[in-house]
Amino acid sequence: MADSTRRKNRAKQTLGEMLTERGVSRRSFLKFASYTASILALPPTAATAIAEGLAKARRQSVIWLSFQECTGCTESITRASSPSIEDLIFDFISLDYHHTLQNASGHAAEAAREQAMEENKGEYLVVVDGSIPLKNEAYSTIAGISNRQMFEETAEHAKAIIAVGSCAAFGGIPGANPNPTGAVAVSGLTDKPVINISGCPPIPEAMTGTIAYLLSFADIPELDHLGRPRAFFGEAIHDRCYRRPFYEKGMFAKSFDDEGARQGWCLYEVGCKGPVTYNACATLKWNGGVSFPIQSGHGCLGCSEPGFWDLGGFYKPLSTAKGDALKYAAGAAVAGAAVGVASAVAVRSKRNKVMSAAKAPATPAEEAK
Amino acid sequence: MLTGGAPCQTEHITGMARSLLAEVARMLEALAADGTTSSVDLRSLPMTEADRQQLEEALGRGEVVAELDLAGRSTVWETRYPGAWWIRHRGAGDKVSSEEIAVCRVPDILLSHPDDVAVAARRLKEELGGLGEEAVATDVAPAGQSSAGGIGPAINTNQTKPEADHG
Repeated sequence: MADSTRRKNRAKQTLGEMLTERGVSRRSFLKFASYTASILALPPTAATAIAEGLAKARRQSVIWLSFQECTGCTESITRASSPSIEDLIFDFISLDYHHTLQNASGHAAEAAREQAMEENKGEYLVVVDGSIPLKNEAYSTIAGISNRQMFEETAEHAKAIIAVGSCAAFGGIPGANPNPTGAVAVSGLTDKPVINISGCPPIPEAMTGTIAYLLSFADIPELDHLGRPRAFFGEAIHDRCYRRPFYEKGMFAKSFDDEGARQGWCLYEVGCKGPVTYNACATLKWNGGVSFPIQSGHGCLGCSEPGFWDLGGFYKPLSTAKGDALKYAAGAAVAGAAVGVASAVAVRSKRNKVMSAAKAPATPAEEAK
Repeated sequence: MLTGGAPCQTEHITGMARSLLAEVARMLEALAADGTTSSVDLRSLPMTEADRQQLEEALGRGEVVAELDLAGRSTVWETRYPGAWWIRHRGAGDKVSSEEIAVCRVPDILLSHPDDVAVAARRLKEELGGLGEEAVATDVAPAGQSSAGGIGPAINTNQTKPEADHG
């Protein structure tokens, strides 16, 4: 049987049928669903609905585009660990293009992307890590195609776009002052809804949990005012920090080796950005739940917030930090309002602003002029 | 004590366990009254290790314990209070990936899913079909030789041996 026919037949199978063939039981689905419901902060009773939704879903074609990035986001999602329930997500998706992970290279790699786009038109997910340079598109190209061109042609017929990492979500480190490449977030280059999963890198469960939600419910999860899933970005690090009682009592470490630091007091005065940073580090933690920066004795850098690199210094308290720290603090205060997916008009308006700021042509047609 | 000399308040009892026990009691009442099932996701609660231990000790272990091997270990046990089940799933590195108390007659994870049952029926039937072919093969095989392989041939060898001896 030809590869394409085999792939098409496989695409018709539900995940339940496909995994049953491989000896994976529905109990495994339910276990995965319990885990997913937990990380998505859904009631445990939602696990049955997630399991049934996944069993009926088709294997999701995913095209992963890596632009101005460091591959840390890919490292995070493919974290080295023994095969386990958390890794079942990789059975639920067909990673049709990822230039770091795929076997094919050169023209064959690009052909795989084009084939996936053709065979799954309107149905594939686009995941992007890295920001896109607009000052000069030659700053970052793949197979001779500029990042912007590749993103726009791939996003055109995508079902949804997920921007993983702070670079894709907000411009990140490439976009930090003075932003030499004119780096922008992907949301500024498309009229389609973009789910931002920020962080440097993002927590792996935030990425896999969001994909599992999309597959189970065929819908976009509730998002905050920055387009991030509220399940993972609904609360400040500070709100769920185990050191919070010390903050309330005014007990602060003044330096990294003083008595306060040894006693585990609050790290606010040594620069912790936990009060203005929305992420799930304090609850999901890192490295399989081992720890998170504050638990390891270092303040939060605020890596999941826009412009985190320019907040005035990692070791300066928020009260004295320069830059936009206080602006973000104010933004954080209104994060309780669920915005959902921004309307196309709002997205288009943002897109135009991005283009204008970067002084870049808004469309390939304008570019041709 | 945790890494980096940063103490974490894992040793403190906060009273969360007692609140949860009262909640479980209410959930058991509902199950007894009209069959309402419910559950509590323990991972999402700000519980210290001491709270968790206190809760586990208070609920204790009842008559049923099930070990599941599903992409990592899972353990399900009925507590001393019938209808209240503790479900602990482990993932990468044998770490707890999710943990809940389910109040129900039998947790869903212990039930055989209808689709799995259908596949099992089909598979067993296929194996029995293979068994018939193996039986013929064993009948004509030289004495002392048996088929190697999975469940089907093993049963086949035992069943057909007397016939072979008589033959």
